[in-house]
Amino acid sequence: MSWRRLRTLLRREMLATYRDPFTMSILIAVPLVALLLFGFVLSTKVKHMALGVHDASDTPASRRLVADLSASGTFDPRPFATREELEHALVSGTVSAALVIPPDFARDFGRDLGDPTPGSVRPEVQVLYDGGEAPLAGNAEAFLRALITSTGASLAERHRTGGSNSAGVGVVTRALFNPTLDGVPFMVSGTFGFVLSFLTTLITAVSIVNERQAGTFDQLQVTPATAVEILLGKILPLGAVFVLDVVIMMMIAGVVLHVWPHGSFLFFVLVSAFYVLVSLALGLIFSATSATAAEAVQKTVLFSIPLVQLSGFAFPIRNMPAVVRWLTELLPATHYIRLSRAIYLRAAGPIALLPEIGFLVLFGVILIGFALRTIEARG
Amino acid sequence: MTRAPGRFWSNVKAVAYKETRILRHDRAFIGVIVAQPIMMLILQGAVLSNKPANVPWAVLDWSRSAVARRFVADVEATGYFLPPQSVASYDEGRRLLQQAEALAFVVIPETLARDVERGQPRVQLLLDGSDPLSAARVGGYIAQVGAALDLGTDTSQERRPEVPVRLAGPVDIRQRFWFNPTLADRRFFLSALAGMLLTNLCLSVMSLGLVGERESGTYEQMLALPTSSLEIVIGKVAPYVAVSYALMLVSTAAAGVIFGVWPRGSWVTLSVATLPFVLASLCGLLHPAVVRPLGRDLPLPVHAPGRARDRRALPPPVVPDRAPPDHRARRRSRRRRRADARVDPALRRLAAGDPLADEAAAGLVSSEEAW
Repeated sequence: MSWRRLRTLLRREMLATYRDPFTMSILIAVPLVALLLFGFVLSTKVKHMALGVHDASDTPASRRLVADLSASGTFDPRPFATREELEHALVSGTVSAALVIPPDFARDFGRDLGDPTPGSVRPEVQVLYDGGEAPLAGNAEAFLRALITSTGASLAERHRTGGSNSAGVGVVTRALFNPTLDGVPFMVSGTFGFVLSFLTTLITAVSIVNERQAGTFDQLQVTPATAVEILLGKILPLGAVFVLDVVIMMMIAGVVLHVWPHGSFLFFVLVSAFYVLVSLALGLIFSATSATAAEAVQKTVLFSIPLVQLSGFAFPIRNMPAVVRWLTELLPATHYIRLSRAIYLRAAGPIALLPEIGFLVLFGVILIGFALRTIEARG
Repeated sequence: MTRAPGRFWSNVKAVAYKETRILRHDRAFIGVIVAQPIMMLILQGAVLSNKPANVPWAVLDWSRSAVARRFVADVEATGYFLPPQSVASYDEGRRLLQQAEALAFVVIPETLARDVERGQPRVQLLLDGSDPLSAARVGGYIAQVGAALDLGTDTSQERRPEVPVRLAGPVDIRQRFWFNPTLADRRFFLSALAGMLLTNLCLSVMSLGLVGERESGTYEQMLALPTSSLEIVIGKVAPYVAVSYALMLVSTAAAGVIFGVWPRGSWVTLSVATLPFVLASLCGLLHPAVVRPLGRDLPLPVHAPGRARDRRALPPPVVPDRAPPDHRARRRSRRRRRADARVDPALRRLAAGDPLADEAAAGLVSSEEAW
């Protein structure tokens, strides 16, 4: 390993990347577009969901129920005069959940009073969800049930003249790390994982396959440069560009989306830099197994499907079947996204994250070892 | 120009036939077509879900009362949670949240039993807000269990374990999920599967179109044939439309057979609605103005799968050694091509060297690759 040769290789790669306007614009544009897209558009919403309300009862009790629903900030109730209008809004997708309060709602509270037998009439409400929007409906369900039950309990309490109190236990909820349950930080911290995994693999794979096809890779291999030098000469300049990308993304996320890391800025950049190396090595391996750039691209695109869906970027891993949960641990991206969320949202420090970092190092050693072998083998 | 009306369809058929033959030899393309739907079907049908499951949580029970135990048992019985971890101190619980080893942390105050008597029992719930979707739902479930907890006169008696927990609150909530009665996330995902697959297909296909022809130099040959541009476009698009329909029908049928998610509406409407979508995606992407700037060494799925090597049967391209023309020159060349439409094929072939020239200059059509 000679520093002089490595320096030459680094210089060559830097110039090649820098003078290729297309790669440069991809490197800048894709992260920004992904960040803004995921941050603005695709972040999951758990506050201010539109809720259609048809209040046929129109009594203090029913108005209290509706007021309680809007007070939590979870729902924005919209009144509908008739049931038909309400159902129409639900079908057309204007609202994704609807509450129907029947005319005898308040009366049933009164009737419940002296009749504690199991068969007694409990006041009823009907809740309709647009099941076509399953995630939204699921969110709305959890909240609506809790809110209606607690309001109902306090209403029933008021009607009761005394004796037993079955008002239930109030649950005072506080969300740590993200008190408003804003979806944007979650998406932003995950986007780092997605962009870095996808782009790094793609750019290295394509750049090396193109070199192989143009014949310049063979030229590299007949120079005195060793495999390690070629590997580093390839990985380090690209890695530097991606680290710069990470910093740019962090700034944009902070300035435009107001998402700054709660943890250490420097620590996050360091972790990301290491992850970029791991991911670039993976790109090298892809390139070794592809004859054309197109094939490498297709492989990366296929690889990006499990990457998005299994790494916990969009769907929580714990909701998956046990076997798949094990598989997700084999994706480096899973660990990086966990690290990124921990640093961004929970302000975790290096010591708490040691196990995850250990996983990444392990992947790094294995993948870089493989990448070295592919460079030598093709020589 | 007088042409027999039958010529049109026979030309279209010829171009479509040629396109299909090429497609059949494109292993990467076929791999993508086959692997992608299987992968997506498994992931979206059986793996992904937004419904909370296996939620890790911690309990700090200072009251050690029957009510507290019943509350914890009721939360666990909802089926969304793992068995709770008992912690001895507030700090320990917060540490579990910090390390993402617990998503929810319930703190039951010492005075809970007394508060029940007084009528205002409260517990504290701390959530890990870093995953807002899960946190919100879990918070909702726990709050609901609390609100529905029966604190009747029999607080002294433990509930027998075999009695199922009935989440009956003071209000009877009659819920109904329209269009998706069991609120399965699977239905939501799988109904969009065909759309996702077709979008991906169109992306992988687009460079097979005119860019691929330009790169391998067969575009000029096609122009030299007695086919009109309309015939070429229709002939080139038709096989992909067929593939798209096959993909759509197979993925929809597979979702139905394997996961029981059949379309509720009419198949005819679905098929009719698919056509403009596919045509818009394909034609938009075939258009040179869209494809050219993308089709350079861009690392997105626009490279023709097997762009060079699988076309060995085709003759080598004309690669004039020229500098890349600017936009104006490109437009000029396109205009010239149109004007030359009726010129002798041999002459036209020379004139049409332009579009290839800039590809060559971009280093894409190296001689090794073209052969």
